[in-house]
Amino acid sequence: MAAGKDYREDDAPPGQSSPPPVVLVTFAAAVCAGIAGSLASGVMAWIAVGAVAMGGAYFASRTAAPRKMVAELGRARRLLLLVERGGSSEAKVPPDFPEDWAQVYEKVNRLAFEAKTNPSAGAQIEQLKKQVELAASLVRDGKDPLVEAPELRAGPLLPLLEGVKGSSSLPVVSHMSLGEEEELIGAGGDGLPPDWPKPSTEGTAPAVGTAAGTEAGPEVKKGLRALIREIESLRTTLAGSPNDQAPSGGEDPALRTPAQLVDAVVLTAADGIEDLAAGLMRANELASVAERVTNRATLLALNAALEATRSGSEAFAAIAEETRRLAEFAREATDTISRLSSEIEYKVGETITAIHATSNDAKTALAEMSGSSAPVPSNRSARVQVVRLLDRSRELLKSLGSSEAMVGDSEPDSADPISIRSSPKPRNSAQDNVENAPEPAEKSPVEGVLLIEGLKPGAHFES
Amino acid sequence: MNLGTRGALTFRLGDYSFAVRVEEAGGILDAERLAQLPGVCDPVAGVAAFRGEMVPVVDLACYLGIEAPVSQGPRYALVLTRGPDRFALLIPEIPKLIAGRDLREAPPTDTDSELGDLFESTLENDQDQFHCLNYWRIFETIIPPAGSAGRQTPMERGN
Repeated sequence: MAAGKDYREDDAPPGQSSPPPVVLVTFAAAVCAGIAGSLASGVMAWIAVGAVAMGGAYFASRTAAPRKMVAELGRARRLLLLVERGGSSEAKVPPDFPEDWAQVYEKVNRLAFEAKTNPSAGAQIEQLKKQVELAASLVRDGKDPLVEAPELRAGPLLPLLEGVKGSSSLPVVSHMSLGEEEELIGAGGDGLPPDWPKPSTEGTAPAVGTAAGTEAGPEVKKGLRALIREIESLRTTLAGSPNDQAPSGGEDPALRTPAQLVDAVVLTAADGIEDLAAGLMRANELASVAERVTNRATLLALNAALEATRSGSEAFAAIAEETRRLAEFAREATDTISRLSSEIEYKVGETITAIHATSNDAKTALAEMSGSSAPVPSNRSARVQVVRLLDRSRELLKSLGSSEAMVGDSEPDSADPISIRSSPKPRNSAQDNVENAPEPAEKSPVEGVLLIEGLKPGAHFES
Repeated sequence: MNLGTRGALTFRLGDYSFAVRVEEAGGILDAERLAQLPGVCDPVAGVAAFRGEMVPVVDLACYLGIEAPVSQGPRYALVLTRGPDRFALLIPEIPKLIAGRDLREAPPTDTDSELGDLFESTLENDQDQFHCLNYWRIFETIIPPAGSAGRQTPMERGN
């Protein structure tokens, strides 16, 4: 990534090679120009002096110009990452930060950290994040945030944006890989420093949920348990319904009204019947052609019989008789084809009429049963949504428990349906707690009961 | 009974059944596409090709004034021969060939008297009675032979 490379060049630790300063480059270019002027004479001397001076100036601009800007860019990106991580009580101002940047760093860190416990600070940090996102999007589009968004001129982002100004390669810090993050904060390959805030497990918006977990944790946990019980009850009800059919594919039928489903069935049948009718028309055309051929055969047979009768030849009469039989056979086949075609046409017409009548009856019956035409999701869809909601609630409950463990309340609730294990690591181990906690059950308790008790539908879990 | 024929081609025209002796018949044509002729009288439906020759086709129903139901189906031309002369009768169905042994002479009916000098004889089998006409007289009244005064065509009447 180009931005990472810029930062590495800017914050190279002592001992590594750094680009020469502008003064030295300019001085070296002037010395070379003087030597070239003394060695040559006349027009060649002026040309040599000019060429050497311009080359030196170009080299100086390439090596030393972006140094200050790149340094400010690295500090701005580090601050953005700090905002994204939600701050830390132990985070200290980095030594390479000047005084004005140190003030911004402290302010942002304080806001981000207070957002965990103070809702007003959470609101401020949310506003700050929005400003950061707005500024980042403007910078990403190659625009000047301070010009395009005047509200960014007031607030803690002003020095940041001035530092970022002119750069259009700001990376999205929330999507940064771990190695890149270590590189950004200057930790090298030794991992993140202990005072650096850990990323939120949710990925975004870490402040609000965590604040609810620490301040109003018991109430929220109680509410969540009630919610889980309610959802499980609903899920049990849905699981007992016998009407569980898999969707037939294509569109999601769960979002259609019964009348629309009936219409879809009618349309499908109409499409099939339309194809059938097209084939029938083609068959009728072929039947008419066969009838014409049969007529010609009959004429041939009749003419042969006429000639045989006129001539009185028995041989001719035999040929004429065979021709007549052939014509009769063709006539019977043609008549059969025509009759079958007519019957199929009649039955297709009857089927179309019956489908329309049945569809109208079904619509009427469904309207009477439901009393409304609002979309009725199928039981299957509702159960899937309930399971998702249940898993989400459990994860949220675990996160709350982990947050409590982080602040010292690591007592597991024995009455809690989902036990929260205490972690041996006292700090910065929320992610470890989540990883050590038992996996969320794939099946709901009701499904588990059904699996355990086997072929006993309707049995209750008593233990 | 010797009818003087080996058989007859029979066809229906409206409410009447007609017969053509096989000795007079030259063949049957598909008359779906007749070539129309300009300036001819109404009974002449057009001309058709029969064995390399052009044959005038006469609409018998039109000539006799029989109101036959208008059919959109195929029509046929029954070619009659007399020596080198040929003409065809336009009929709405394929005629049936009835052998002479199945036919017998029948007494004339009121319909036969209405036909006047066109009537020739009446034949019958177990199912139906058939009027045999002097078809060549019909043709000669429409297209008179050279040197004889026949029936005037509408064009002649107009002139």
